[in-house]
Amino acid sequence: MKHFTYSAIALALATSMSAHSATMKWAGTTDPQTMDPHAVISAPVLGFLNNVYEGLVRRGKDMSIEPALAQSWTPIGNGQGWRFNLRKGVTFHNGSVFNADDVIFSYQRASAETADTKGWFAPISEVKKVDAYTVDFMTKAPNPLFPDSIANWMIMDEEWSKEVGAISANKEAGNAATLQTNGTGAYQVTKRQPGLETTLAQYENWWGEEIGNITEATFTPIQNPATAVAALLAGNVDMINPVPIQDAARLDQNPQVTVIKGIEARVIMLGFAQQADVLKYGADKGKPNPFLNPKVREAVAKAISVPAILRTIMRGNAQEASQLVSPAMRGYSIKHDARPSFDMQGAKALLAEAGYPNGFSFGLKCPNDRYLNDEAVCQAVTSMLARVGIKAELDAMPVRTYWPELRQDNFDMYLVGWSPGTFDHEHPIRFLASTPNTEKKLGSWNFGDYSNARIDELLPMIQSEIDETKRQAMVDEVTEIYQNEVAYVPLYIQPLVWGTRSNIELTQRPDNFFILRWASAK
Amino acid sequence: MNYIFKRVAQSGLVLLVVGLVAFSMFRFMGDPIDNMLGQERTQEDVERLRDELGLDLPFPVQYWHFLSDAVQGNFGVSYRQGRAVSEIIAERIPATLELAAVSAVLAISLGIFLGVFTAIRREGWLANLIMSTSLIGVSLPTFLIGVMLIYFFSVYLGWLPSFGRGEAVQLGFWSTGFLTVSGWQALILPALTLGLYQMTLIMRLVRSEMLEVLRQDYVRFARARGLSERAVNFRHALKNTLVPVITVIGLQLGSIIAFAIITESIFQWPGLGLLFINAIQFVDIPVMAAYLMLISVIFVTINLAVDLLYVVIDPRLREGGK
Repeated sequence: MKHFTYSAIALALATSMSAHSATMKWAGTTDPQTMDPHAVISAPVLGFLNNVYEGLVRRGKDMSIEPALAQSWTPIGNGQGWRFNLRKGVTFHNGSVFNADDVIFSYQRASAETADTKGWFAPISEVKKVDAYTVDFMTKAPNPLFPDSIANWMIMDEEWSKEVGAISANKEAGNAATLQTNGTGAYQVTKRQPGLETTLAQYENWWGEEIGNITEATFTPIQNPATAVAALLAGNVDMINPVPIQDAARLDQNPQVTVIKGIEARVIMLGFAQQADVLKYGADKGKPNPFLNPKVREAVAKAISVPAILRTIMRGNAQEASQLVSPAMRGYSIKHDARPSFDMQGAKALLAEAGYPNGFSFGLKCPNDRYLNDEAVCQAVTSMLARVGIKAELDAMPVRTYWPELRQDNFDMYLVGWSPGTFDHEHPIRFLASTPNTEKKLGSWNFGDYSNARIDELLPMIQSEIDETKRQAMVDEVTEIYQNEVAYVPLYIQPLVWGTRSNIELTQRPDNFFILRWASAK
Repeated sequence: MNYIFKRVAQSGLVLLVVGLVAFSMFRFMGDPIDNMLGQERTQEDVERLRDELGLDLPFPVQYWHFLSDAVQGNFGVSYRQGRAVSEIIAERIPATLELAAVSAVLAISLGIFLGVFTAIRREGWLANLIMSTSLIGVSLPTFLIGVMLIYFFSVYLGWLPSFGRGEAVQLGFWSTGFLTVSGWQALILPALTLGLYQMTLIMRLVRSEMLEVLRQDYVRFARARGLSERAVNFRHALKNTLVPVITVIGLQLGSIIAFAIITESIFQWPGLGLLFINAIQFVDIPVMAAYLMLISVIFVTINLAVDLLYVVIDPRLREGGK
C-alpha cells in the first residue's frame, strides 16, 4: 500500500505541472463490492476493475475484441485450442514484470472452485506455458468464441498475490485482494473505502498510448437518484450513471449538463410457466395452464403494444426487441428481426382458437427495483392484456425476493432481463432457451422450463462451429424455433442514460462500463 | 438497589427479544445468495454458499450462533463487503454520531431560544411568523425537507455541497469532519434536516411551558419586586420549565440516531443509517443484525439512564422500591 501512496504523490506532482491534466468525480448506484477480479461476476465490479486490471484481450469502443496483454492469438491445429502471444514490457502497478507465469496463475485462480468466473473456463482442458511470453489454451472441443469470452478475465500478479495472501478468491470472508489491487491497467487504486469512496490515479508506466487527461478520479456510490441528479447539477460530481429516465429531458435542457443516451445490451422480456399443469394465481387458480398452448403465448405477444410502452414509460429512450439479444450482439439473426406487431383483433382471435374466447385470469410476477421502470412496464402490460380479456394479477417485489420466487416456480408469467456476458447470441440460448440441466449447467435462468429438443441439439454444435456462415445458419434456426413457439416475448432493449458536466468527454460502451482512459475534461 | 437491578435485567431482556424478532424477520427479507453470486452461478454454487453461511438452518439456531459469537465480540463478516462487521461499524459510527450531536445541539439551543422568544413576544409579528413556519418543521417529511434544502442551497445557490461528508481527518480510530472547512460545509444541510423536527418540538414545548409558568404568582411577584425582565424570564421562568423539556430531549436523542437513516440516504452521509439501508438492499444479514442490536442498545441505555435519573430526582420512587 505504501508503494501506491508514494507513486500517487509522485504522479500528482508530475501531472500538476502539465497544463491539460484534470481530475474528475463520478457516481453510480452500486459500489463494486470487491476489488478482487475473480470473486464476483457483476457489472459494477467488472466495469470498475476494467480500469485497473487487464485481460489478454479487451473490448473496444464498439465492443469488438482487441489485443491487450496478448498481442495476438491464433487457433492451434484444427480447433484444439488457442495460442496467445503475450505483450512484452508490461509491468504491474508495483513494478513487477508481466509474463506467462502470471497468466497461468490467473487461470488457476479464476477457474478455482471459489471463483465466480470458473464458468468461463469450462471449455478448457489444459493451459500450457510454451515460453515466457507464449501460452496455449487447449479446449475440450473446437471453441471459436473462447477469445471473445475472456475479455473480462483479468490478469493478476503471481508474486504479489502470494505475498499479500490472496492466492484464491474469497467472497465470503475476503482477503487482501478484496481491498487492494495490483493490475497492469491505465489506473491504479490509491484509496479504497468500501461503500463510500474509491480513488484512482493514472499509472504512469502503462504500456498503452491512447489515454485522456484525467489523472485522478474518484468514484462515489449514490443510491438515491434525486441526490445523484442534484450532485450533477450542483457540479459536485462530473458524471452520473444512470440518469433517471424521467429527468433526462429536463437535464438535457441545462447548458451545463450533457445527457448521453445509448442502447444497453440488455433485452427485457416476458417468460411463461411452460411445464406447469395448472395456473397458480388469479381467479382461475388450479385450472389447466393456458400458456402451454403456443397460440395463447402468441396472443400475449400481439396484445402488447411495445411502441406505446416505449413512448410513455421509457420516454422514447429504448428500442423494440425481436430476439433474446440486441442487434449489436454477435450472432443476431438479421433474417428474424421482426417482432409480432400490435394486433388486438388478432390476439382475440388466437385466444378464441385456443379455447379461451372469454379470456382467463393468472398471476404475473415482476421485480420493482431491478430494471429501469420495471414495475411500470408490468402495469402497462397488465392493462394491455386486460383489453383482450386476460386478467393478470400483478405481484411486483424487490429483486432480493424476486429470484427466490422464480426459482421456486411461483409464477404463471414473469418479467426478466438478459444481458449476454459474452456479447453473443449463444449466451442467452444457453441460459434461457436450453432445457434446464443442472449437470450440464444449461438453462440455469430458464425459470419457465421452456424446452425444445432441436435447440438442445443445436447448442453444442453452435458452440464448436468454427465456420461463421454455418454457425450463423444454426443460430438462425434456433431463433426461428423460439420465435415460432413464442418461448419468450421480447419487449425492448433497455436504454443507457448517463449524465455529465458539459466539459467532460467520454465514450459510453453498450455493456454500461465506464472506461476512464477514454474520458477527458476540457 | 433492587430497583436498579430490576431495570438492568429488564433492559437485557428487551435486547434479547429485539434480536429474536429481527432474526425471525430476516427470512422474509429475501435471499442474499443471488446478490453474492453472478449471472453464471450454478445450482451447486448456490447450495455450497447457503450451506457455508448457515442459511439453511432454522432461525432460532441462526440467532443462537449470532448471540454466542456476539458475546465474544465477533459480529460476523458482511456478505456484501467480505469484511468484519465490527470493523465496518467502527468506520461508520463517527459520521453518524457527529451528525446526531450537531443536530441535537442545534435543536436544543435554537429550540429553547425560539421557544422563550415566542412565549415572551406572544403578540409580535415575528413570533407569529416563527410559530407558523415551525408548522412546516412538524408536518413536512424529512425526505422532502432534505431535497428542498439541497435544491435551494446546492443546486440553485451553489453554496453548500449536495452530498457526502467533505474531507474527514483521522484521529486514531475516529474520523472527524469537524476539523476541515469542507467537513463543516457538508454538515450544515444534513444537520438542519435531521434536527428540524426535534427543534420545532422543543420550541413548542418550551413555549407552552413558559406561557404556563409566566402566569404563575411568583413570576408576578418577581416583576413586582422590580427585577429586570431578563432575570424574570430566564432565571425564574425558564428554569422551572426545563424539567419536562429535559425528559423529552433525553428520549428524542435516541430517535435522532434512528431517524438518521432517512437523512443519511438523502445526503449520502457515510454513517450507520446509510450502511443499514444498503444492507437491507443486499440482504446483508450480519450487518443488519449488528445495526439493530446497536440501535436497541442505544435506546435501552438512554431509557435506563432516564429511569435512573428519575430515581435521583424523585425520592418517592426509591421509597416505593422498598
